Amino acid sequence: MKSLRDKYCIVGVGETEYSRGSGRTTRAMAVEAVRNAILDAGLTPRDVDGMLDYQGGDSTLANWVAPDLGVRLNFYMDVFGGGSSTEALVGLATGAIEAGMCHTVAIYRSMNGYSEFRIGGTGVRAAQPVRSLDLAQVPFGMRSAGQNFAMTFMRHMYEYGTTSEQVAHVKAAHSTHASQNPKALLKERVTVEDVVSSRWIVKPLHLLDCCVETDNATCVIVTSSERARDLRRRPVHIMGVAGRVSKPRLDFHWAHGPITRVAGYYAKDIVFGQAGIGPEDVDVTGSYDAFTFTTMLQLEEYGFCKKGEGGQYVSSGIIELGGKRPNNTSGGHLCEGYTHGMNMVIENVRQLRGTVDDYCPRAAEGVHTYDYAPGRCRQVKDAEITMNLGWAIPPTGSALILHR
Amino acid sequence: MPQPVQYRGMTLIVPDNDSEWKEFYEHARAHRLVVRRCTACGLLRYPPTHACPWCMELGWTWQEVSGRGTIYSYEIVVHAIQPGFKELTPYPVVLVELDEQRARPTPDESLRIIGNLVRPDLTPEEDKNVAIGKRVRVMFQDLADHMALPQFTLTDEPPQGRVWRLA
Ligand SMILES: [Zn+2]
Repeated sequence: MKSLRDKYCIVGVGETEYSRGSGRTTRAMAVEAVRNAILDAGLTPRDVDGMLDYQGGDSTLANWVAPDLGVRLNFYMDVFGGGSSTEALVGLATGAIEAGMCHTVAIYRSMNGYSEFRIGGTGVRAAQPVRSLDLAQVPFGMRSAGQNFAMTFMRHMYEYGTTSEQVAHVKAAHSTHASQNPKALLKERVTVEDVVSSRWIVKPLHLLDCCVETDNATCVIVTSSERARDLRRRPVHIMGVAGRVSKPRLDFHWAHGPITRVAGYYAKDIVFGQAGIGPEDVDVTGSYDAFTFTTMLQLEEYGFCKKGEGGQYVSSGIIELGGKRPNNTSGGHLCEGYTHGMNMVIENVRQLRGTVDDYCPRAAEGVHTYDYAPGRCRQVKDAEITMNLGWAIPPTGSALILHR
Repeated sequence: MPQPVQYRGMTLIVPDNDSEWKEFYEHARAHRLVVRRCTACGLLRYPPTHACPWCMELGWTWQEVSGRGTIYSYEIVVHAIQPGFKELTPYPVVLVELDEQRARPTPDESLRIIGNLVRPDLTPEEDKNVAIGKRVRVMFQDLADHMALPQFTLTDEPPQGRVWRLA
């Protein structure tokens, strides 16, 4: 595969508040998040000439957002998609710039994921007529993401002996991270026991195995390394990217085996090949945590441990702050807020800058205590390389490797 | 166009031009479980699709299958999100590996289908009786004159391989 390693950078990140009731439109939130990212980068509206966003019929469009900010576009596209789109669109942005269509691209996702279009499938989504592909699942009471994916985890438990307690460590770790994050929706630390004693949603998933539906908008800005050099922030370089890589039988992940294999199986050679590194070189991961087990499945599929040993990996302490390779240091979708992947990329950018927004008094200057006691620091010391493992459904995933 | 079918608060729509499902449901209403068979390589596939995923052939015929199989994976929905399913909870959804075409065309592949695991009276099977490896057979839940859902029920056949359920 061709590699554009280090030719492009993420130079700005921004978000709105993570809430469960924004009280405003997705357009209003998108405008704020893009503006925050432009300011973060030290750019002006005239410096941005590309825009990409993704949605599922639940959000505003680029040609409504850009004019609000005085941005004139040379390239824009609204993409249909949810999870795994962030990394894919970062890759598309580099392609658009490489093709000479534009030079600086703002990528946003804006969603009232709790107050308007609930991700869990209730409300507006549950009332939609059932037709076409949906007829193979929905009439059997299999509609929400949890209901759609649970069988994959159940089969993993059967094949590899993975337990509820093992994956509960993902929630426990991410809640620890969120307790260091002023922005997080759920800042309270929870234990493995809390997770496995929370009520069942769809066995084998408990309530606390599931992420937190959220209202928010998020933005990252991509430009060339040459332009990045003169900007306000330490540039974060794109080493490798894989976008929406799929398994065979993308339509029904259960039709093609083994169902415990996820898209990372196919994506890992693309992304590691471009970057010229392996899993052992990665300091921080952002493995998509729509559910506790999705984090586990992807970490093993990308080779951070052997296939089938994901349960041991995530329960070993490795993924916690202070561990060898922390995962989702902002608290991720389980605790910070659900953003369809964006906040995990934003967090990794901040980790590489050394300016994570934790409770350290001089965090904005990049001065951290590295004290991971509750309500303190969440900066990983000397983080050089991060990796995002994006998940959409078991057979679709994306990945992004960044370095400082 | 056939009337949309109301089932548990859902509107199920199978228009005349639904070249995937219309005939499948007509067979199901006659209590036949059919899948598509490639006219070139002979492999079976479900759900209904338009080309053969193994040889790209467009030709296909409906083929009736036995409806007997083994539970490959499952889940128990305890918190229903569809209002019409709340009274059914907890209800099992099973992924059944049909006896036809097991481990073909590759060792990891099989003919698989989703359904609810139900008792003979179509009420949900009890959680404690659901397990990977248990044997099942198809039965049909009539919804309208032109539509029935394939569902599955346990048989007394010996299980296939290791039997396991979430404790
Ligand atoms: Zn064929």
